[in-house]
Amino acid sequence: MIQDQRLSRHEAPAKLSRLQRSAIPWANPNWLIIGIIVLLAVLLPWLTLRLAGGRFITHLIITFFVWGIVTQCWNLIMGVSGIYSFGQMALYAVGGWTTGTLALHYGWNPLVSIWLAPIAAVVAALIIGLPSLRLRGAYVVLLTLAFHELLRNYVVNGPTIISGGGYGLRDVPKLGFEQFGGGWEILLYYYFGLMLFAIATYAIWRILHSPIGMAFRALRDSEDYAVSRGVDRFRFKLFVFAFSAFFTGLAGGFMTHYQGAASPSLLTFGVMINLLAMIVLGGWGTFWGPIVGTAILTVLPEVLRSAEAYRNLMLGVALALIAVLAPRGLGPLVSQAVHKLIDRLRRQKESA
Amino acid sequence: MDALFQAIYSGILYGSVYGLMALGLTLIWGSLRMLNLAHGSLYLVGGYLAWTIIDRLQLPLVLAFLLAVAGAALVGLILQVALINPLLGKAGWDSASLIATVGASIVLESGALLIYGPQVKQMPTVVEGQFKISTVLISNQALVVIATAVLFLILMSVFLRTSRHGLAIRAISQNMDAARLAGVPARRAFLIVMCISAALAGLAGVLLSSIFYLAPTSGFVPMVKALVVTIFGGLGSVKGTIWAAYTIGLLEAMLQVYLGAGWALPGLFLFMIVMLVVRPNGLFGLGEVRRL
Amino acid sequence: MLQVSDLQAGYGGSQVLHSISLHVQTGEAVVILGPNGHGKTTLLRAISGLIQPTGGHIELDGRAITRLEPEAIVAAGVVHIPQGDLLFPEMTVLENLLMGAYRSDAWGARNKKLEQVFDLFPPLAGRKRQLARSLSGGERRMLALGRGLMGKARIFMIDEPSLGLAPLVIEQVYETIREIRRTGLSILLVEENANHIAGLADRVYLLEAGTLVREGTADELLQDEALLAAYLG
Repeated sequence: MIQDQRLSRHEAPAKLSRLQRSAIPWANPNWLIIGIIVLLAVLLPWLTLRLAGGRFITHLIITFFVWGIVTQCWNLIMGVSGIYSFGQMALYAVGGWTTGTLALHYGWNPLVSIWLAPIAAVVAALIIGLPSLRLRGAYVVLLTLAFHELLRNYVVNGPTIISGGGYGLRDVPKLGFEQFGGGWEILLYYYFGLMLFAIATYAIWRILHSPIGMAFRALRDSEDYAVSRGVDRFRFKLFVFAFSAFFTGLAGGFMTHYQGAASPSLLTFGVMINLLAMIVLGGWGTFWGPIVGTAILTVLPEVLRSAEAYRNLMLGVALALIAVLAPRGLGPLVSQAVHKLIDRLRRQKESA
Repeated sequence: MDALFQAIYSGILYGSVYGLMALGLTLIWGSLRMLNLAHGSLYLVGGYLAWTIIDRLQLPLVLAFLLAVAGAALVGLILQVALINPLLGKAGWDSASLIATVGASIVLESGALLIYGPQVKQMPTVVEGQFKISTVLISNQALVVIATAVLFLILMSVFLRTSRHGLAIRAISQNMDAARLAGVPARRAFLIVMCISAALAGLAGVLLSSIFYLAPTSGFVPMVKALVVTIFGGLGSVKGTIWAAYTIGLLEAMLQVYLGAGWALPGLFLFMIVMLVVRPNGLFGLGEVRRL
Repeated sequence: MLQVSDLQAGYGGSQVLHSISLHVQTGEAVVILGPNGHGKTTLLRAISGLIQPTGGHIELDGRAITRLEPEAIVAAGVVHIPQGDLLFPEMTVLENLLMGAYRSDAWGARNKKLEQVFDLFPPLAGRKRQLARSLSGGERRMLALGRGLMGKARIFMIDEPSLGLAPLVIEQVYETIREIRRTGLSILLVEENANHIAGLADRVYLLEAGTLVREGTADELLQDEALLAAYLG
């Protein structure tokens, strides 16, 4: 029977209840909203660069892109898959140093060497990931911490090509955007960063809303049960290690060329704690959590510049409070509030 | 020959202090199944409290040290009641306890930085003087440190082996349900374990800073080494931990003496990685491991 | 002396026990028979406090013990010998027994109790310093029972004493339980099959799917042919 086209076009699409939506997690994204967000993101630097101190604001956003990728990847491994890997910054460093060294000491074109960063990071992740496959919980923490420390030692004390006498890589060639002049340079870095962030975020979104994402959560919540239902935990663990390493290494490579340097201070615990705080604050194990948390903690320190000394203290207090009071982080609270708002608006519209 | 002697002397010194730190960690792991990442900052609490009491109150050294250790135990108690107890029995224990202890350690360390500043502090020693055996320099204070540490290690071992409460602590770490059925009060037992562990960490802080120095970042490295020791000894095993402490101490000393100071830490980490992969139950197979 | 009324309990979202009411009088030996997975272990764990009941009341000698922590329930005199023994594997036989006397009011009498336990279980006496994890099945069962006797029990709850043991050993274990019974201790015992309870049980309950479906004296239930078929062998 041929349906009357006019009729079917007027029918409103069936509204899925939350339960139904969670039953088919591999839903499609709302392209309209995504389009709007992307448009805004593309137009944003044109606005910010016109403001006083606009360069710095744009720089902050680029920083947000980079750390946003790293925190999302780390969250994928820890929050979603339940693997307590503390090797994320090591992977970042592997990426950054790979492309940095190639460009600085071996004359590679940065736009080429940057793509080796993710590959090197993936290799490193497999090296770290393989031994940790059989271990659980605290043991993975210790194993990955050990790798992190070994790398840090190498980066500080190793051959001068890598360590720069303990100062890291300096004067790393940038991506070649300088030729376009000051304003354009930062604009191009912005778009490059935005592109990487968008690709990474989309990839993670797809994974989270796919059977693979379900497998990760299953392994986190009840490993034995997941295995008994046929989830090959070794393959999945290796996959999540490799996947999160890919984008993390890429982010590291990009940052190295953007800043023109790679410093061993990246491998201090302060940095790791900061990233951890971003994930915890925003929402451990959720999709929006790391994004929200990174945004907050990238902007806040600048706003609270004067209170630098107290910053760490408050960070620690915040972590402790969140762990006890709101273990799911602020992200879910925000998303709940947003959902309620949308529902209320929708109901108002319907009753109008 | 001298090098070997230096290594042995340093090894015993390190091993004794690591034993104190690691014993606390392994007790907490055994009973609470938690990795206490605030352990290093409890070391700081002991050291700084001792320094403050000596500097401000001018009390006799030994009294100041005892008060500092008690203070560390108190901080541990607060930590347990405020941060850990609310998390007990709830889902997400692993990640929540990790984050909570990390948060606590940041608070304590940045607090130390704010109050005392980044400069290193020198702790006055109980005894002065040093002597030489051949070319190896041995300070009297170091001997006091070794003696004190060994004394407390022995006291703890005896306590755990023979006393009623020591038995209860071992019981909790071996079978929680059975321990409760025997009448062991779970929450109170956790609290006691945490206080003991914090006191041991504080003691290590007091002792080690009397021969080296004290800075807000001082707690981190001893904690990391204590973690290495607990893995070697087998998480949860008291006997294994004490053996492992001296093994690691000697290992580190040998690495330092024969390969240079820069090799000590990486060498230890390499060993830890190998150990985790090959024998997660510890060198002596005494630990329990949640392996697949 | 033990009064259970309308007890409900379960794990997480699923309810296992539905409105259980039973009682054990002082000096009685009560047996609860039931197939595996129907709530026998859950029942004992709810009484001893290892799990919190979701509804109902439990009283021991008139004192409410319903939602107390296990340590308080043990203090009241409830001794639970759990399924699978739950020994302390890295402790010696002696240390395991001493843990049975952990509570402060029992600690003082521990040496006397040790003598009694070793009299009752001679094989344990010869293995005082042996680690619990190296004991045989029967020895572990004896150690679990002995540990329970070290305290000041008013009621002795035993979860499947025959589990995992050879028939000859089971008979020895039950003989010991009968001896314990003769000292006047009240006993609540759960079992899957009824082979050995003759001569021990005063009353028997049947537990199926979380509900008590029958109750009667041991003689009554053991005459029932259908029952015998279902619960023996």
